[in-house]
Amino acid sequence: MSSPILEVRELCKSYEEGRIEALRGVDLSIEAGEFVAISGHSGSGKSTLLHLLGGLDSPSSGNILFRGVPLGSSFDLDTYRCDHVGFVFQAFYLLPTLRAVENVQAPMLASRSGSGDRRNRAESLLREMGMGHRMDQHPSKLSAGERQRVAIARALANEPEILLADEPTGNLDSKNSAHIMEILTGIQRSRGMTLIVVTHEDEIAQAAPRHIRVHDGRVAS
Amino acid sequence: MEWKKPQNRMTTSLSFTGYVLKNLRRRRLRTLLTLFGIGMAVGAFVGLVGFSTSFEQQWMRIYSSTNTDFSVIQGSFLNTTLDETAAARIRALPMVAQVSPTIFNLMDVTPEINALVYGWQANAFEFNSLKILQGRRVSNGQPEVMLGDLLAQDLKKSPGDSIELQGTEFRVTAIYHAASTLEAAAIVMPLDQLQQLSGMDGKVSTIDVRLRPAPAGEAEGAYFRSAQAAIQAAVPGARAVPAVERARSNQFVALAKTSAWGTSALALLIGILGIANTMAMSVFERTREIGILRALGWRQWKVLAHIELEAALLGLGGGVLGIGLGWCALCILAVLPQTASFFVATLQWPVLVKALTIALLAGLIAGAIPAWRAGKLSPVDALRCD
Repeated sequence: MSSPILEVRELCKSYEEGRIEALRGVDLSIEAGEFVAISGHSGSGKSTLLHLLGGLDSPSSGNILFRGVPLGSSFDLDTYRCDHVGFVFQAFYLLPTLRAVENVQAPMLASRSGSGDRRNRAESLLREMGMGHRMDQHPSKLSAGERQRVAIARALANEPEILLADEPTGNLDSKNSAHIMEILTGIQRSRGMTLIVVTHEDEIAQAAPRHIRVHDGRVAS
Repeated sequence: MEWKKPQNRMTTSLSFTGYVLKNLRRRRLRTLLTLFGIGMAVGAFVGLVGFSTSFEQQWMRIYSSTNTDFSVIQGSFLNTTLDETAAARIRALPMVAQVSPTIFNLMDVTPEINALVYGWQANAFEFNSLKILQGRRVSNGQPEVMLGDLLAQDLKKSPGDSIELQGTEFRVTAIYHAASTLEAAAIVMPLDQLQQLSGMDGKVSTIDVRLRPAPAGEAEGAYFRSAQAAIQAAVPGARAVPAVERARSNQFVALAKTSAWGTSALALLIGILGIANTMAMSVFERTREIGILRALGWRQWKVLAHIELEAALLGLGGGVLGIGLGWCALCILAVLPQTASFFVATLQWPVLVKALTIALLAGLIAGAIPAWRAGKLSPVDALRCD
């Protein structure tokens, strides 16, 4: 039996001095190499949960354990994000001044990789995403599907163990959505990565081996 | 077979500095305006401090070219009066080789041109530092003057011509060249003539002193100090000021230095505010971008360093631009009739190093608060920012 890569215990997150409770005592365990879909209505707390799992934010109370070590208190969130987690966002969030290949190198500037390694790895990842012919383009010259493929390559730049995707197909048409999900699930299978996708699309949620529904800040199923 | 145009591959490695430079290039106009702002400030510094330094050096040259060891004064540099008889008491001291009672004054030669006027005795040792190009030395008791070559050029005068000073006519006996532009643009006349002209009969401004060489076995410093004490004892109330100190701390130089640093400080403050504004705007506009970098694993200090490097590069770039602008200003001052007479455009390494250091510090100071703010941004809050 594989050990949990992430454990969530009594996780709460509130805003505006407790007036808005986004998460209310979430307990969760995610095994290494799992593909998990998190779904829920708008405002249900699913994105907040993803942000906390990715170390983008700190919980109001409760704990998140990465391989048994509590995040924040015993494990610096910056190091966690840099070395263990890759993010894919709905709005892509590519850096506009950088070409595709440079965008993929941006996370590597946070790690200790050499300049030659950075370039080679970025080129290799973009080719893997079918973007070998577009790597010198700026984001403004790329289509939405191409931007998301660059964003996925960027998320893989520091070889994370966990890939977190927040509505990765939210800005894409159905053809590109299917392509992006194929890429994400292919990566999860081939690399044995943990893939956590937040989505409001049932089709994507049902395709995941494990589906977590969030409702009013609590895990519903 | 279809021919395909080969793709021009530009793929390069992204570096931390390269990313900073891309961000500066991205907002070209703002970057250029900021560079120009700090450039103007550093230019003012280079111009003004360069001007005062050059001024100081010209004073130094006067003393070094005449091998003057002490200037004996009573009062301040600009307001010093001694009895001429004190010269004899100083001359009688065993370690004194030569003394020269002098007067200096600033006079209007024409409505546009004013010049330093030196009154020396006909046998004063200061004459040895001047190279007479045309004519002869002035004689005691005669209404005669010698003109420095820079001043003669401005006045278009040559030996045999006459000039009027404060209503009195003087005949030009010689044109001379001097190491210091302060002397090359000056007038030398007999001491007694300047005493009459200035209403200082029997009085002098300073008494310049040359010492004999230190006796064998006696340390230079100790000899110098004992001579200083002996001179001051011989003329109670007077001060024997070492020539170097007199050149550096005279009120003309001190005033020029204070004005230069004061004006430069104000200009630099404006430059710092310019960079601070640019960096604050940059951080504000790039809040989401900073959030993305934090989400990608950039640590707080890396984001902070990124903003600080951007500000430092703006400061340094402005510094380089400012040195160019300052040099242009110095060149203009060197040819302006009002300043050309006592000023030579030179750029000295200490001024350049100071200018670049100040520019760099200005950038770092100006970027500190925006950088700190950027580093403190929560990744998730920054990502939510529109």
